[in-house]
Amino acid sequence: MTRKAKGSGNSNTAEKTAKQLRSAPRPAIEQTLFRLRVRYVKQGRLAYLGHLEVIHSIERAIRRAGLPYAVSQGFSPHMRVGYTSALPVGTSSTCEWFDVFLTALVPGPEALERLVRASAPDLRPVQAGYVGVRDPALTALITRVGYRIDLSCGMSLEELKASMAAVSELAEIPYERSGKQKVLDLAKTLGSWELEPAGEGAFHLVLHTRADNEGSLRPEILLARLDRELRGSTDAIASTGIQDLESIPVYRVERIYQRGMGEHGATVDPL
Amino acid sequence: MRVAYEDRFHELEPLLAHVEKPSRYIDHEWGAIRKDDADYRCCLVYPDVYEVGLPNQGLAILYQCANAVPGVACERAYVPWIDMADAMRAAGVPLLSLEGAAPLASFDLVGFQIPHEMAATNYLEALDLAGIPLHADERGEGDPIVIGGGPSVFNPEPLAAFFDAFLIGEGEEAIAEICREHRRLRDAGASRLEVLRGLARLRGVYVPSLYRLSHEGPCTPSGYAVPRVGEDVPPVVYKRVVEDFGGTDALTQSVVPFAQLVHDRLSVEVLRGCARGCRFCQAGITYRPVRERTPDQIVSAVSRGLSATGYDEVSLTSLSTTDHSCCRAILRRLNRRLEDTGISVSIPSQRLDSFGVDMALEVAGEKKGGLTFAPEAGSQRMRDIINKNVTEEDLDRAARAAYLEGWNRMKLYFMMGLPGETDDDVVAIANLADHVLELGREVVSKARRGSLSVSISVSVFIPKPHTPFQWCAQLDYEDVKRRQKLLLESVRNRAVRVHCHDASTSLVEAVLSRMGREAAGLIEGAWRRGQRFDAWTEQFNLDNWIAAGEELGLDLYGIAHEPFDLDALLPWDHVSPGSSKGFMQREYRRALAGETTPDCTRTSCTGCGVCPTLGVRNVLVGERV
Repeated sequence: MTRKAKGSGNSNTAEKTAKQLRSAPRPAIEQTLFRLRVRYVKQGRLAYLGHLEVIHSIERAIRRAGLPYAVSQGFSPHMRVGYTSALPVGTSSTCEWFDVFLTALVPGPEALERLVRASAPDLRPVQAGYVGVRDPALTALITRVGYRIDLSCGMSLEELKASMAAVSELAEIPYERSGKQKVLDLAKTLGSWELEPAGEGAFHLVLHTRADNEGSLRPEILLARLDRELRGSTDAIASTGIQDLESIPVYRVERIYQRGMGEHGATVDPL
Repeated sequence: MRVAYEDRFHELEPLLAHVEKPSRYIDHEWGAIRKDDADYRCCLVYPDVYEVGLPNQGLAILYQCANAVPGVACERAYVPWIDMADAMRAAGVPLLSLEGAAPLASFDLVGFQIPHEMAATNYLEALDLAGIPLHADERGEGDPIVIGGGPSVFNPEPLAAFFDAFLIGEGEEAIAEICREHRRLRDAGASRLEVLRGLARLRGVYVPSLYRLSHEGPCTPSGYAVPRVGEDVPPVVYKRVVEDFGGTDALTQSVVPFAQLVHDRLSVEVLRGCARGCRFCQAGITYRPVRERTPDQIVSAVSRGLSATGYDEVSLTSLSTTDHSCCRAILRRLNRRLEDTGISVSIPSQRLDSFGVDMALEVAGEKKGGLTFAPEAGSQRMRDIINKNVTEEDLDRAARAAYLEGWNRMKLYFMMGLPGETDDDVVAIANLADHVLELGREVVSKARRGSLSVSISVSVFIPKPHTPFQWCAQLDYEDVKRRQKLLLESVRNRAVRVHCHDASTSLVEAVLSRMGREAAGLIEGAWRRGQRFDAWTEQFNLDNWIAAGEELGLDLYGIAHEPFDLDALLPWDHVSPGSSKGFMQREYRRALAGETTPDCTRTSCTGCGVCPTLGVRNVLVGERV
């Protein structure tokens, strides 16, 4: 199954042949751009979307919203937009972010309202504002990521805490992904954690993690390791998205914050 | 008792974590229509996975038309991929609609798209998953009416046992009539038989159970269908043609998927029908007459569609978009409008002449991928037989222009096993491909020469009902394989890549195209042996089909390779796209004599019979070039 290449038929390629019937090319002027930063949620059924599916859906929402998005130059022109790191299939979030470059200033509240009207409720934008065009990209800015995991487990709070404490002492967790041996660097990526009861056989596990260009913590891998710890197993761990765990039959992961580090060591929100 | 219409997503959700591409099953797409207060519900089903079915334009049109009827809700369903289907069976979850996540069996009407012959086993897979009895005659008062419609419905007989009714032809108006009439009869307490009789009174609706098989007089081994004694049904069901195609909304798409599709874009149908008259082509007959939309209508639909959906590509669809009399003007207007948006326009196929290259240039950006042409046959003799009114000079001019404009890759479509074909004609395919490549090497700069390539895709001719070749046999299976080998050996250049279609799939496609009602057992036997998604090469398994045939005493090779007599009554003669049999016979004889027939949108009427029979005419909005 083939697809026609994206981005063909665009206008900034008008300077071709005498046969070309489009308007003449315009002189290259440095355009004034505006960088709109938007926080959105990923929840409900749409937690099952993959990262590329989310990206496509957001770009379509931006076009439906009629925002004056900037288009990259070159062979395959596309919308200038950047995202935070990929969220695995099945993981929801209250705090996903994207930056879209606009060619005209649309007041933040108006841009947000237009985006909300053009978005599926489960991928709803909730906050929008402008940041500097030359500010670092979201992926460089964000170094602190929080997850909340709702899990059901037949163990007591004490047992679970003890196992979690044992896991958190590990320097790393080896796992396999697409046939390759990988290692989750727990010492570097796991900051702290909290475990609380949430009713009969249910618990909240909150993970405060650190991320950078070299790596981040995938909660599923940690959960898989916790599962092995709980049942004293040494089964190998494979990264397959949503895990089948024996001692944690049901779990849901939600990203609850994404922050950067401010000048004085305090964390700051992207907006 | 009808299964309750209720949301059962909670049963499906635990399975999502363990299947490939869960977005196939989650619904809530932008533009999906919910009508919770409806008192009549139909569900349209595409017999393949979500990402293949969602872009289907026919279903998109019907989805809008049915939902436009007050009180009628129309939902969608697709066939779950094998991983999900197996998980659903294991968990006891029935096939659910997308919008309401309700069991298919809870709907009043279940309507399948019939896109091609190779979907046959998937109707059974879907019905079985839905818990709806497979055979129409086993369905009771509580079961939905199962109806089929679409491009491949012009020989409905192989599927007759599984469907309560078929809609022959265009559904824009018919779907609303069917829903309304069914609702009226249901509310009046009509029995299933009375409902079916009522539907059979609607123009274009064929109810197979009201017809019986006859083998009297000259006919094929399948016999032919005639009205049952006492049933007031037409001996020939003519296809429906929408009253005023130009008056229908050109924007028919509303649902924007989350999943990435095969054709992930807005589609706007710019014209319907093609009168070029290629003699192997079923669509060229069944979509007549030719009707063009106006440039204003098309440009407006594209603008509205892009802002409503947010797509970054729009495809101007039809059987032959570059034949639109205003093609150039439409493309220019769209290009102007879409400047600086990153949104691109595409046209599905290129006409094989320099105009085709001009139009390709209109939609191509700086990035020129491949350019696709369909000469269909390698020799002029064969092109005359099939009435592909294209000469080698046309192809030369088109290829030369394409190379000069910067394209390096050329893709050519051919067919093998056409009536009257000899080994020389097969070698001619290889020669033509070599010629196109060598021509490129002559005209482009030295630096580009190494990047030139020609790929040819060669399918196996399948004799289709309602074409001038409907009496022909398919080329013998072993001969197909031999000629494919001959073709591969005849290509001289390494930069010419050859792709031949699978001979086994083509064999089964020919069998299902040519058989009558006795094909039901074959299809069911293949499905019971595990066949589903036969259109996916890796899922297709000829052995299961052969074994299913043997069990019934059917020799599939014999069925595909036996020609029919010109005066035999054919299994599909009782459904008609409006073309006359005399025209078909004349075209068949002209083919054998190598005589071509012109295109009636460019010359005068060629007498196919569609216009007078159906009371329609070609509608062009300008002069065709």
